[in-house]
Amino acid sequence: MNIDWVAFIADALKMATPLVFAALAALITRQAGMFNMGVEGMILCSALGSVVFAHFGGSVWVGLLGGILIGLVTGMIIAFSSLTGKTDLYLTCIAFNLMAAGGTVFVMYLLTGDKSSTAGSLRSYQIPNIDIPLIKDIPVLGRIVSGQSLLTYLAVLSVFLVWFLLKKTRIGLRIRAVGENPSAAESVGISVPKIGYISFAFCGIFAGLSGAFLSMSWVTFFMKNMVNGRGYIGLSAQNMAGGAPVGSALASLLFGFADSLSITLKNQTTFPTEFLNMIPYLATILAIIITSVIAINKRRRIEKGTAKAAAEE
Amino acid sequence: MNKTQKIESVMEVVRILAGLFIAYAVALVILFAISDEPVFIVQQFIAGPFSSARRIGSIINLAVPFTICGLSMCFMYAVNKFNLIGEGIFMLSACMVTWVSLSLQNLNLPAVVMVPLMYVVAILTGVVMAFIPAIMDRKFNANVVVVSLMLNSVIAYLATWILRYKVRDSSIAYMGSKEIPKSVQLPGIFGKFRVQSGLIVAIICVIIIAVLFYKTSFGWKMRLVGANPRFAKAVGLSALGISFAAQLAGGAVAGIAGATEMMSNYTRFQWTTTTQHGFDGLLVAVLAKKNPVLVPIGALFLAYIRIGADVVNTSGDIPIEFVTVIQGIIILLVAAESFLSGAKNKLIFKAAEKDEKEKQAKAAA
Amino acid sequence: MADEVLRMQNITKIYPNGFVANKDITFGVGANEIHALVGENGAGKTTLMKILFGMEAPQEGKIFINGKEEKITNPLDAIDKGVGMVHQHFMLVPSLSVAENVTLGVEPMKKGLFDFEGAVKATQEIADKYNFKVDARSKVRDLSVGQMQKVEILKALIKGAKILILDEPTAVLTPQETEELFEQLFTLRDSGVSIIFISHKLEEVMRICSKVTVLRHGQCMGTHDTEGLNEASISKLMVGRDVVLKIEKEDPKTGKPVISIKNLVKINSIGKHVIDDISFDIHEGEVVGIAGVEGNGQTELSEVLSGMGGFASGDVLLNDTSIKGKSVREIRDLGLAYIAEDRMVEGVAGDMSIKMNIMADRFTKKEFKSGLFMNGKKIDEIARQYIQDFEILCDGPDQPVRMLSGGNIQKVVVAREFTSGANFILANQPTRGIDVGTAEMIRKTIVRKSREEGTATLLISADLNEVLECSDRLLVMHKGKIVAAFPKANEVSEETLGEYMLGIKEMTLEEMEALL
Repeated sequence: MNIDWVAFIADALKMATPLVFAALAALITRQAGMFNMGVEGMILCSALGSVVFAHFGGSVWVGLLGGILIGLVTGMIIAFSSLTGKTDLYLTCIAFNLMAAGGTVFVMYLLTGDKSSTAGSLRSYQIPNIDIPLIKDIPVLGRIVSGQSLLTYLAVLSVFLVWFLLKKTRIGLRIRAVGENPSAAESVGISVPKIGYISFAFCGIFAGLSGAFLSMSWVTFFMKNMVNGRGYIGLSAQNMAGGAPVGSALASLLFGFADSLSITLKNQTTFPTEFLNMIPYLATILAIIITSVIAINKRRRIEKGTAKAAAEE
Repeated sequence: MNKTQKIESVMEVVRILAGLFIAYAVALVILFAISDEPVFIVQQFIAGPFSSARRIGSIINLAVPFTICGLSMCFMYAVNKFNLIGEGIFMLSACMVTWVSLSLQNLNLPAVVMVPLMYVVAILTGVVMAFIPAIMDRKFNANVVVVSLMLNSVIAYLATWILRYKVRDSSIAYMGSKEIPKSVQLPGIFGKFRVQSGLIVAIICVIIIAVLFYKTSFGWKMRLVGANPRFAKAVGLSALGISFAAQLAGGAVAGIAGATEMMSNYTRFQWTTTTQHGFDGLLVAVLAKKNPVLVPIGALFLAYIRIGADVVNTSGDIPIEFVTVIQGIIILLVAAESFLSGAKNKLIFKAAEKDEKEKQAKAAA
Repeated sequence: MADEVLRMQNITKIYPNGFVANKDITFGVGANEIHALVGENGAGKTTLMKILFGMEAPQEGKIFINGKEEKITNPLDAIDKGVGMVHQHFMLVPSLSVAENVTLGVEPMKKGLFDFEGAVKATQEIADKYNFKVDARSKVRDLSVGQMQKVEILKALIKGAKILILDEPTAVLTPQETEELFEQLFTLRDSGVSIIFISHKLEEVMRICSKVTVLRHGQCMGTHDTEGLNEASISKLMVGRDVVLKIEKEDPKTGKPVISIKNLVKINSIGKHVIDDISFDIHEGEVVGIAGVEGNGQTELSEVLSGMGGFASGDVLLNDTSIKGKSVREIRDLGLAYIAEDRMVEGVAGDMSIKMNIMADRFTKKEFKSGLFMNGKKIDEIARQYIQDFEILCDGPDQPVRMLSGGNIQKVVVAREFTSGANFILANQPTRGIDVGTAEMIRKTIVRKSREEGTATLLISADLNEVLECSDRLLVMHKGKIVAAFPKANEVSEETLGEYMLGIKEMTLEEMEALL
């Protein structure tokens, strides 16, 4: 086996990008107290939206804005159903993801007459890759850190923006207050549904970026079911990190590695692709188990360990 | 109080009907908007499913897996776990039936042995697969929705691998298995309607599960746990154990659904992705308000709009996917608490006011 | 009236389940006045105040502030109009600081960002102005209950509240904290804030309020000057008859211990000793009461004894068998009946029928089955019998429990727990928030069962009247410990009790030994 490890790591960064955005999207709604599985469908809609807007607007930037716009709109749909319509959020998200899966194919077919992908029928646009001066000339590091998609750098920046938003701004404070004790926020006249809508708007922006990356950077077209669980993986990543932005990004990176590993092995080995395809999903399940076990053990240790310490006193 | 209860139950039916009606209206509007010959298409969508004995039979055929999957989701939904593993189980159990029946082909066992055996295989498949998210939920408190969805992807690849490397018939042009033995191919019934014999399986399932839900202590336990798990624990029920068992039972039923579909509607296993039946089951369970008795009604309705979509797909080139959008709208409307709640509260207020006045009149007298 | 700052007129509120919470209520509050709103639990006080604060919408009625009619549809409206509310259950965000909690909703900004230092300063200023001592930088989760309440009041004041609603503010306070609160209320009153003081502690009402409005069963029984009234006359207005404060009971004939608690320790998830080395026994035929300010380990003790939560060390023997590691089912089989603190959380499944709720602890037993199935006929019969015995007002055994009133829901709970055949009853707040009649029935049944059937009962209650009257022996909990024990509950004065509840005094183990 002859694996190009540098390419592998660079690839992992690339694959982690949509996951980081997905995780940030889920993280903001989580901070407002909502477990939003709808990111999966939101990203899917945005991915299609990006391609369509780019095609008709004739520019990659129109496409990017279009993707974000679709992210916002779909976020508002979920928010409306669960906050105003008072539908169980789980059920809303499952229903929405169903609609997104069918609806994107439906729209794609109406526009192109094709049900599997827009490649060939809608023009391809690509978000530019950026070479970073100086760094790009460093061996190894240059190949990894430089030459990535603009959105990959934006993802890194976004992690800190989200941290800043939550910790330093008024709306961040209100989002956290609502997430931790909605009645407290309500009692001082903060509208809980309004904060919910706002957090879904932020969520929509990041879901839009995630979708735009998939259809204009990872590949340059939209294809049926192209998100393929990345929304759920991002959701799990932020869950592992307990809703902390930097931790969520690191967890996403871990899943990016799993994704990249699956792709690299597929290209370089003869192992059945079906099993390699399972890697990201199995990695997610494994990660969920590990996080829960750690959390459970920690709680047990506190409850028992301090008991011992107390007995020894 | 009596009036309140009546108003609540009447409004519940009104709500579901109104939800269906709105979704249906949306479907018609979409068709009207995108079709070149809207009148014809809308007419096809509404009446098409009843236009021939064959199509009526198709509605029933389609309603069979929807019913059994709906029953499967009733178990999950009854204990408030949105365990969506049924989606994967449906595919895998069909695949396992194919694999096992082909492996046993040389034994030439009669149908009376093979068919029950296949159901055992399917149920085992369902239980084993449902076990994974259920045990993770129980032991690690892991989110059952995310885990089951991840697992569905894994299952889809696993089933595809079995298809490709274990049962594939390389003599046919498309990706499909060898033909399953005649002994496991269930015959059609009702002559020209061409109804699958799975109908009988579905009916038996509805009866058994309805009795299980309402007449046995396990059913009581599930419903109590679903209604308030902390309360269930406080009165001495093992909430975790019961919701775990309910999820396994749901998995077993999903297995039955997959096997029935495979044995009555197909001769070769040919799926390379999951089939949406698990999600359809969720829709049916939501429509039926997790009541097994109402599941067939929800399933028939869903089958009707699906066949309608099928008809317009073939006769008017409208992509069938628009139905999933309609399905989503139905779930959202039917499950939305505040949908029509204003009307309900007004009615209750009026009734209470009237009661109050009557009381005062009585007191005065 | 010219100096009337608030008038609520003809307010009617009917909840979606048909419960009439407020019926045509009218009352007014003057300037510089502490105005008491009294009534029994469930009389409609909290609902009325939630309407004033915009948290509930009334079906009918008008609100006037300073003589002008105002529409208040949400808390923001209320705050704008100068209404502030301190809720019974604190509305605080524990992981945020005092300053952040106080300024939430009116956050100071600097260059478009939240100005934390500004928030600290603003909080400190308003606290100094009214002589409140709090540290603006500390996290709310580290505060004592009394301090949290100050934060709550500051929250209202910083938004310019001129009408301050306090919903049972002293329920969770120690007597000393209560004194401090009263001093602060007087300061507020003198600086121009009108205060609506909701309470059912009449001696407090007599002490600090100039006017009192009485609610009974959702109706207004009029507003009176407290001068010229006494506690007895107010309570007469509240319940429409003399309150029966005495429960006639003979001395218990105690037998062998039913439950023995030995060196019990429970530690919560942040490492605090919520139950700290507790030991006591309860014998056949006696009712043991536990008094204490809420949050001193009573909830956790009830969790341990009911099997809902584990414990770190020590042991509990129920009828000579340890409950350690046992499931709730096993503990119930050993002889436990459990009236949970919050009936909607652990006492009933609201969406399920009365029948299922009554049978919930026993339907798995053989006697209720015929073959594989449930014996529907027998179950119906039994449910009907209990509905009759416990006088549950309902349409029949198949009605969902959530449609009943609080008192009737509690009757469903006790219909189950009193008939389970257990010889140990764990009753945690058994009469909270329900009507007098039901409360009296429950108290009497507890005492009667101990006398006639030899049941051992642990009664945990925040209602001092209740623990003092129903209990034989009385224990006091403070910070997870038993700090006092009295052989005869009805001979303990509330003052003595207060000192132990606050941890000012503590009995030594030797003093208590014979009584545990």
